[in-house]
Amino acid sequence: MPDPSSPIPVEIPTTQVSCRVNGAEISRTVPVDTPLLAFLRDVLGLTGTKGACLEGECGSCTVLVDGVTVNSCLMLAAQANDRNITTIEGLAVGSELDVIQDSFIETGAAQCGYCTPGLIMSARALLNDQPDISEDELLTAMEGNICRCTGYASIIQAVKRAHRESQSP
Amino acid sequence: MFHQPITIEEALNLRNELGADATVINGGTDVVVAMNHGALKPQCFIDLSRLTSLRKNREDDGSLILGAGTTFAMMGRSHLRALREASLSVGGPAIRNVGTLGGNIATASPAGDGCVALLAMNADVQLTSAERGERWIPLVDFFIDYRKTALAGDELITAVRVPKDPQSRWYKIGKRGAVNISLVCCAVSRNANGKIGLAFGCVGPMPITTPKAASLLNGDPLTPELIDDVANLVAQEVRPIDDHRGSATYRRAMCKTLVKRLLTDLHAGDQKGDADA
Ligand SMILES: Cc1cc2nc3c(=O)[nH]c(=O)nc-3n(C[C@@H](O)[C@@H](O)[C@H](O)COP(=O)(O)OP(=O)(O)OC[C@H]3O[C@@H](n4cnc5c(N)ncnc54)[C@H](O)[C@@H]3O)c2cc1C
Ligand code: FES
Ligand code: FES
Repeated sequence: MPDPSSPIPVEIPTTQVSCRVNGAEISRTVPVDTPLLAFLRDVLGLTGTKGACLEGECGSCTVLVDGVTVNSCLMLAAQANDRNITTIEGLAVGSELDVIQDSFIETGAAQCGYCTPGLIMSARALLNDQPDISEDELLTAMEGNICRCTGYASIIQAVKRAHRESQSP
Repeated sequence: MFHQPITIEEALNLRNELGADATVINGGTDVVVAMNHGALKPQCFIDLSRLTSLRKNREDDGSLILGAGTTFAMMGRSHLRALREASLSVGGPAIRNVGTLGGNIATASPAGDGCVALLAMNADVQLTSAERGERWIPLVDFFIDYRKTALAGDELITAVRVPKDPQSRWYKIGKRGAVNISLVCCAVSRNANGKIGLAFGCVGPMPITTPKAASLLNGDPLTPELIDDVANLVAQEVRPIDDHRGSATYRRAMCKTLVKRLLTDLHAGDQKGDADA
């Protein structure tokens, strides 16, 4: 399995990728087969997004593309042309953390923290979409993210807290 | 090269020109997994993800036509129960947001959940080429053997046609959770005209139907005796193998159990007057 942090191979034809990442217009020329994950991490240096399984199973690479969750290990960078990408680095406004980031800290929902950026992006999409969230909807929204440390209880608590906080005026 | 056509005509022309030199990609949930595993090293892509027309669903003369670019997330809101439940069982939400019906069919995995649901509904698939135009074939004829399909080198899957309001049921046995390759999967459906379809996943080289067993169901009421006969024939007709996930004997037994359960449930739905909730 290729190492997501290994240098990008050179023999593959290149293509231009132009998109908006966390609000900034970006344009880079990359090999056509570059996954979005490698584009974010190795080309743009946005290493908040993690990679582990590279097969859509763990969710650690989750980002938002036009507001919708995507496994960046399975999307090609070129497929993101003209799209709006939000990564974990794009959530805080200045030193003001996003309410979900804040809740993860408050409830101790991160241990090693490797799964955390992906989980927060999945939670962000859920909270963007729905003013009212049932327990079922919450669990479904997070079902593509694996955490091997916490046992999930603190994560669910963090998302619920963030939801409550964002409802209160 | 990375081609990102925005009209279907453009996509078909590219497919015609480039043939096997270009890898067709939509959601990438099979293609990029294979690339990450080193099993596929494409140098040229035709990306279908911008073809909004391929995502359109419409009704046509008693049928429902689903564009090949319809995502699992979209099918997760379908009124077709088997298709809805099958779609919601795929991956996590981020997979369902991009994975498509056309990709599921083209991949022709024996475990293809969308394929099994659609086979039970006697779906037809539309294959289109720039030079020869469109052709519709029964989905059951699309699957030829293990990962071998009727798709020609210049064709794209453009749509799937199913009856508008079949009753249908679907179930898969596998590990519970987001990431879930099934051990056995079964779907049953009944059209307004009473025609019943049965389909199975993971018990053959491709998603399969059991025409002999289905032929017992020619409009007669679904009595427990009839359902038993059908289930017994199903167990003979499926072609499971032994692998690390389960034995052939177990799979055969589960096909029998599932088809019995789903047909009984379909019948119970009738008694209650359920449309297909
Ligand atoms: C974590 C994970 C879990 C999964 N779970 C399940 C599951 O439970 N059940 C299940 O059935 N599947 C499952 N899958 C596989 C499923 O996501 C794919 O089969 C999906 O349907 C493929 O669609 P795509 O748009 O992503 O296809 P792509 O990966 O883009 O393409 C797949 C294949 O189809 C071809 N293709 C795509 N569209 C067309 C078209 N319109 N015409 C001609 N050829 C085309 C491509 O060339 C390629 O060969 C899972 C995948 C992952 C990564
Ligand atoms: S690295 Fe993408 S889902 Fe695991
Ligand atoms: S905190 Fe370690 S994997 Fe989730």
